[in-house]
Amino acid sequence: MVPENLLYTKDHEWTQIQGDVAIIGIDDYAQHSLGEITFIELPAVKKKLNVHDTIAAVESSKAASDVYSPFAGEIIEVNEELSSRPELINQDCYKSGWICKIKISNPDTRHLMNSAQYEEYLKTI
Amino acid sequence: MTAKKTVLFDKHTALAAKAQIVPFAGWLMPLWYKSISEEHRAVRTTAGLFDCTHMAFLKIAGKDAMSFLNILITNDVSKLKPGKAIYGYILNTAGDIIDDVIVYCMDHDNFMMVANASNEQKVKDWIETVRTQKDLVTEKEFEIFDLKNSTLSDARVDLALQGPASAQCLQNIFGVDVRGMKSLSFITAKKNDLDVIITSTGYTGAKVSYELFIHPNKAPQLWDTILEAGKPLGIIPCGLGCRDSLRIEAGLPLYGHELAGDFNISPFQAGYGWAVKLQKENFIGKSAIEKEIDFDTEIARLKFEGGKGVRPIRQLDGILNEEGICIGHVLSCAAAGDKQIALALIKKEYNSAGKTVGIYYAARNAGHVQQGRKEKVNIGEKLAPDIKGQVVERFEKF
Repeated sequence: MVPENLLYTKDHEWTQIQGDVAIIGIDDYAQHSLGEITFIELPAVKKKLNVHDTIAAVESSKAASDVYSPFAGEIIEVNEELSSRPELINQDCYKSGWICKIKISNPDTRHLMNSAQYEEYLKTI
Repeated sequence: MTAKKTVLFDKHTALAAKAQIVPFAGWLMPLWYKSISEEHRAVRTTAGLFDCTHMAFLKIAGKDAMSFLNILITNDVSKLKPGKAIYGYILNTAGDIIDDVIVYCMDHDNFMMVANASNEQKVKDWIETVRTQKDLVTEKEFEIFDLKNSTLSDARVDLALQGPASAQCLQNIFGVDVRGMKSLSFITAKKNDLDVIITSTGYTGAKVSYELFIHPNKAPQLWDTILEAGKPLGIIPCGLGCRDSLRIEAGLPLYGHELAGDFNISPFQAGYGWAVKLQKENFIGKSAIEKEIDFDTEIARLKFEGGKGVRPIRQLDGILNEEGICIGHVLSCAAAGDKQIALALIKKEYNSAGKTVGIYYAARNAGHVQQGRKEKVNIGEKLAPDIKGQVVERFEKF
């Protein structure tokens, strides 16, 4: 399940850019690999980020995975609902399971994959 | 090395998503089919079926098989009668654990030994070393066979059927009543061309638990037969994930975690001193292991809140006493319902049920380290607990 309108990283984050704001989450492959997610550590709003800084930690009973920022910028909003309902990431990783919004300082997306490239990438791992 | 496929691999790919089939001890094994918590719950309420065909199955047969095993293993094999099994350890001459094994007595001169998949080569190599060194064992009239070798007529691999509904399921298939079987005993049963050895053993803490030993070529048929007969009883296939969470909940040790491993944990610390028969005349490693049977630390079972929103406890997190002093480390931890059960190596004086203990979460990532969280905690350090829980009884049956 790879939605067409999103961009992807090799670490299985997805992002959707709306103006100078990027919404970030983890994709279906990541949530499947983790299994039942029971905990998420969310970033602080206003946290400044470089590309590939850790923005969140997602944990299931058997695995833990850090979520990395695809952009430099600043966290402007986090999905607080995930603190009490981390299973939303399993149930709906591309919509209600979003993790945070970043005000991006550089709109360059050349380091990200579109859905077709990402599907190709998934075949190689 | 490419991971091998068990004889049930096609069953796994039909039932589990690709991402959930992972290399484990050199074998491609399912971590879970539906979910770890659902499969865990099934074993506690109905029953679950596990692929254990990847484990090491050795036949040791011949005139001196028993005396050889009695030197190789810490428990007393000489007392074993046909139809009975025994749990024990293979030690090296320094007294370190090579593996923990179960030995089944098929006949007075024919034994089956089941060892961990992760230790299979090490166990085989050690057996070769032992039988070729004159000073370790003198009586050598016995042969060793790898029972996974399907060209042997008595080849055997193992499926585990664990949980309260498993007895009814076996009765429905084989027409045998297995309810009264004593722990560590076994019988044979037959249904059409399915010839099985049913043992009352397991690694889940279920009071009603069986393992079925069958020729590898027949294992897929047995798998299907059990799942079909088990459907109305609520029996489902279970992966390695819940195998681990169930054994942790029950307090059972895993080699490399609660036995041997980085802390070189001895059977005495693990709560299994009874399986090391120091009164036996001789076994390999005896002179080394009998020098030290008292330890400052031992394995404790601990219970904490779990469920949604609670950070899972991980291996090497610190265990704190009520004053916040580090008294040990987590070895394994798993979710069980809305609780977390940890097995930890802690200072002996704190290991009594009801005592309050804390957990210090070791740093999980670079961000935590930047915030000043320790990556590694040491005994004696004073730290602030992240969550609190209790010491519970060392073992629990379900």
